[in-house]
Amino acid sequence: MPGALDADFDTFWEKFRREAPVPFKAGVYAGAFVYTVTPVITVGVPLPSFALPRRLRDKHADRVVQHDLYLVRQAVFLLKIAGGFAWGADPRVREKLDLPPYAGDPGGWRTK
Amino acid sequence: MSHTAFLERGDDRSFVCDWVVVGSGAGGATAAEYLSRHGEKVVLVEAGAWRDPEHYPTTAYGAMRDLLEDWGAQITRGRAFWPIVQARTVGGTTVVNSAIAVRTPDDIYALWRAEHGIGGELFEAAMKRFQDQLDDELKVEVGPPESRGRNNELAYAAGEATGIEHHYMRRYVKDCEGSGQCMQGCKSGHKQSLNTNFVPAVLERGGEVLSNAPVKRVFFKGNHAIGVTGRFRHPGLGTKGGRFTVRARRGVIVAASATHSPALLQRSRVRLPALGHYFRSHPGTGVFGLFDEPVDMNRGNTQGWASIQHRTAKHAYKLETLAIPPEMVITRIKGGGTKFMERVADYRHLTMWVLGLRAQATTGTVRNGLFDKPVVSYTLCREDLAAFRSGLAEIARLQFAAGAKAVMPGVHGLPYMIGPDEIHRIEEAPLDPRYYIAILSHLFGGCVMGADPRTSVCDLRGRVHGHEGLYIADASMIPTVLGVNPQHTVMSLSRWVAANLVEG
Repeated sequence: MPGALDADFDTFWEKFRREAPVPFKAGVYAGAFVYTVTPVITVGVPLPSFALPRRLRDKHADRVVQHDLYLVRQAVFLLKIAGGFAWGADPRVREKLDLPPYAGDPGGWRTK
Repeated sequence: MSHTAFLERGDDRSFVCDWVVVGSGAGGATAAEYLSRHGEKVVLVEAGAWRDPEHYPTTAYGAMRDLLEDWGAQITRGRAFWPIVQARTVGGTTVVNSAIAVRTPDDIYALWRAEHGIGGELFEAAMKRFQDQLDDELKVEVGPPESRGRNNELAYAAGEATGIEHHYMRRYVKDCEGSGQCMQGCKSGHKQSLNTNFVPAVLERGGEVLSNAPVKRVFFKGNHAIGVTGRFRHPGLGTKGGRFTVRARRGVIVAASATHSPALLQRSRVRLPALGHYFRSHPGTGVFGLFDEPVDMNRGNTQGWASIQHRTAKHAYKLETLAIPPEMVITRIKGGGTKFMERVADYRHLTMWVLGLRAQATTGTVRNGLFDKPVVSYTLCREDLAAFRSGLAEIARLQFAAGAKAVMPGVHGLPYMIGPDEIHRIEEAPLDPRYYIAILSHLFGGCVMGADPRTSVCDLRGRVHGHEGLYIADASMIPTVLGVNPQHTVMSLSRWVAANLVEG
């Protein structure tokens, strides 16, 4: 199964930054911040998540989304949603799930 | 006939009509269609864009961006933050729902009469007649067997195995193909969302539609509502456009939803003690079942099966199937990192069955917030949480009856997967909403109808107490939860309000 990093996340992130409303973006940024600074409470290491060795980072990712503090897990939940948008719509992921590729979002509306 | 989608800043415009209807969802479109059918000149005003099936998105991201209110990120204030799922588009939530058609149960009429002093034989007969008409006009039927898909068939098998009341659903879908795309809008055009029928009918009969036109306020002459005003908002750029003013000779019908209708009346300075109160909902959540063989939940009816076995029980809820795309499935699967990715690989083998809680004991409030955003305060009380938990356990039992080898309850603190001998763990889960992932999708109240102006906002005919020419015609007037999908009730209630306006 292709992982989140295998999906074209950069393209998605550019689109998301351009299109998403401010409160939604603020929530995702807050989620990213919480994810980055919480290894100390999930794996006991006072380092930002990006500085963790791979094994600990994996453990942190698993623990932070299930953390007992509601606000912590809710903040990271938003990050998971944003990542899920990119991952779940990736044609390689959909192929693995035996789903046809998405036809795209035309984004138009009736003007007359 | 005319549709105005946007006007540039400085290009202000006025419209004159008999009736202005605010909101084009199940309530607003139904009222507008009925009034225009009877020769009334109607202007239908909608905050969202008018998207036809060729404009519909296919991804979950696109659906949130193009069709949902605030990208689906509108949440409750309270002990837990639960998303409130509403559409913001011409046709309202009928564009993104599963088009489930359920008649108003008789016990609801009795409840309204006993507890709210409203109803009567004439009303009930009219509601039933309107629901007959809507069945016919919107082609209500049970989907053909080849459209059902395994998710729904397994639920049916579970119902048969356990002997509970259950059925394949009646929906406003003609010849459903089972594309599993109800939530992104039905691109095949089989689903009878109201942007494809009632709204165009208003135009054909000489009415007008303003889209991308959020209403700022209702304006009055004395206590008589005579129109609405607001500014267009560009659906792509989000920029403000020209002002619109709609003057209505006969009256203003507010049908902007259970969140927006009370907020609009509040900022229009309607002062009634019950305004914004008695907000209710059917909080919903689901349980995944893991099966040996592929289920492929996204092939088949998005929602095709239901049970109302427990609708009138002490712990009252309805059960349904629901197919969600992979992007949304991952929000329901616990964990992160490698472990999470291993779990996601089971996607093809998952069923998802959900409960809609008949949350009778919990009420919330709606108030107009910053930037005219409704602020909903709602925390499920312990009594309703006990029912919620009980519904989750019942789904788990049904999943196992259908042959699931494990279920994923999705409750914080519980294991990711549990076996048939562990269902008691769901029943013992904490009575705290923060332990559950849920959404609010069926919303009621905020402008409830009733006989007493101290405890209600409008009467049975939708007339707002203490005002002339101001009416409610949407789910905000419903004073109780229903325990069934509300769309049929909302539309027939709206037609009832409109019929009384036409016939006097």
